[in-house]
Amino acid sequence: MSGGIARGRLAEERKSWRKNHPHGFVAKPETLPDGSVNLMVWHCTIPGKAGTDWEGGFFPLTLHFSEDYPSKPPKCKFPQGFFHPNVYPSGTVCLSILNEDNGWRPAITVKQILVGIQDLLDQPNPADPAQTEGYHLFIQDAAEYKRRVRQQAKQYPALL
Amino acid sequence: MEDQTVLTVKSNAEPEKISHSFRCCICLDLLYKPIVLSCGHISCFWCVHRSMNGLRESHCPICRRPYNHFPSICVMLHRLLLKMYPIAYKMREIEILEDERRYDFFSPQLDNHACGPLVDNECHHLNDSMQFSGIFCGSSSKTGSHENMEQLQPVSVAMKNGTSEQSSIEGITVAGKKLPPNELNDNCKQISIVDVLCTACKQLLIRPVVLNCGHVYCETCIITPTVQQLKCEVCQCLNPNGFPKVCLELDQFLEEQFSKEYALRRDVILNHEFATMCSMGAGKSGFISSSGAKGEHSSWLADAHSKVHVGVGCDSCGMYPIFGDGYRCKDCKEASGFDLCRDCYITRSKLPGRFNQQHTPEHRLELVESSIFFDMMMRYVTGQREDRSAAVVRADDVFEENGSPATLPDNAQESASGALTTPTTNSDNLTDQNNTDSAS
Repeated sequence: MSGGIARGRLAEERKSWRKNHPHGFVAKPETLPDGSVNLMVWHCTIPGKAGTDWEGGFFPLTLHFSEDYPSKPPKCKFPQGFFHPNVYPSGTVCLSILNEDNGWRPAITVKQILVGIQDLLDQPNPADPAQTEGYHLFIQDAAEYKRRVRQQAKQYPALL
Repeated sequence: MEDQTVLTVKSNAEPEKISHSFRCCICLDLLYKPIVLSCGHISCFWCVHRSMNGLRESHCPICRRPYNHFPSICVMLHRLLLKMYPIAYKMREIEILEDERRYDFFSPQLDNHACGPLVDNECHHLNDSMQFSGIFCGSSSKTGSHENMEQLQPVSVAMKNGTSEQSSIEGITVAGKKLPPNELNDNCKQISIVDVLCTACKQLLIRPVVLNCGHVYCETCIITPTVQQLKCEVCQCLNPNGFPKVCLELDQFLEEQFSKEYALRRDVILNHEFATMCSMGAGKSGFISSSGAKGEHSSWLADAHSKVHVGVGCDSCGMYPIFGDGYRCKDCKEASGFDLCRDCYITRSKLPGRFNQQHTPEHRLELVESSIFFDMMMRYVTGQREDRSAAVVRADDVFEENGSPATLPDNAQESASGALTTPTTNSDNLTDQNNTDSAS
């Protein structure tokens, strides 16, 4: 049987998110122009952790789920050109738990993904760089790196 | 059955609230036809199957522990859930059956209970061997249920008498033996100890482990053979993934549900452990030995010379994908086909298929050539990684040993009855023996 359970699982994910989710985070399925909900694309917001240079930023992240979800992980994208050593120029996040052959497990929930990415923001993994600019500044020029991170946090204020 | 009345009003009844322990971590819904992997994690039949990898070893969806065999449904858990959540479970069944019809792939029909109104009520108290009963409720079915029961006779005969007794107890005396309702969970009112007995000792399960065949034992009730692979005492199926880990969800549930009896059992077992430890000197206790034997899962998988049948699984032992020679049934008409790996073909396994195929021993099987292209791709995908080369060499040895019994060393000869004796078990057992030798 090849019929996916992606939609069923995502409906459950949505239910559980509505019941309870970490403070400051936003995650909701896309609403199409005709008012219908597309469960396969979620628009999320990740708050920068308090006490880090990322504080004050509310970073928009889009999750793209495939029909193979949850056997395969969703693709997680920040806006194009997002500044972070482990984010590709296209905005795609490079993280072990989001890699099908590496750390992805179907048991990982949307909540865990978002919290995992929040952790990644302040704790980049220099062993797995995805963009040159962020990576070079991170290992060569800590002061400039810090400035860029803070500047980016200001670029994404809370949307209220 | 009392809950059948409940089932008839399923459409307007509210489903029960489901305990967190019995939610599948993949679909996040009530577990349906639960499968317990060798790491002790539970998931639904289809959720496990979908999350498996058709090209190489699969990983547990919860802990990523690698495994190669698609386990059978844990019938005991299935019945337990059906009792605890009759409405929700029935709703899941309807939902899944609809999907199964759409794709013309069916999961094993466990009992007519789970089969819905399409099947007559005659064969109510089936014994455990009927877990694979061919009662087919799909639209494509043309065989009657009675015929299927006859086909299954060989399996039932092979079973120990104890099991059928056990299930008759389960079926009849439940009402009389009801325990006082537990204030923790209303859904558990109908559950009694007879629903959660160990296959071997017939007492309340304690630290339950589930074998590849779906049978549940207490961790301490499993007899670890010295030479051979672990084998289920009921169905004689070999357990491929080493010693299984305790199913903690079930264990914690039992401890909560039957706290008094559980504590009693635990004391008895601990005393027993202590006694054996004293008598054996510094021998290994059951609890300790069970944690050993890891890493047995994929030594043969790394064998670069074996053929790979991409996306095809063995309907007897569950190996998926099939490595080495594969045999396909020429007479099974189901969309899923019926396939066996070499070992199961040699041992002439009588078990019906994993996907409810109506396979009989009279059917003809033919050797399947796996495509060379896929073999090449496999080698590329699984990678001839350097760090694996040691495992490859050892796996080669095993394969050759099994392929040509004439060259087998004496001690392995006994185990050549179709099972792969992995090098790790051998060395583990050798050290075990050495330990006890030196101790005594």
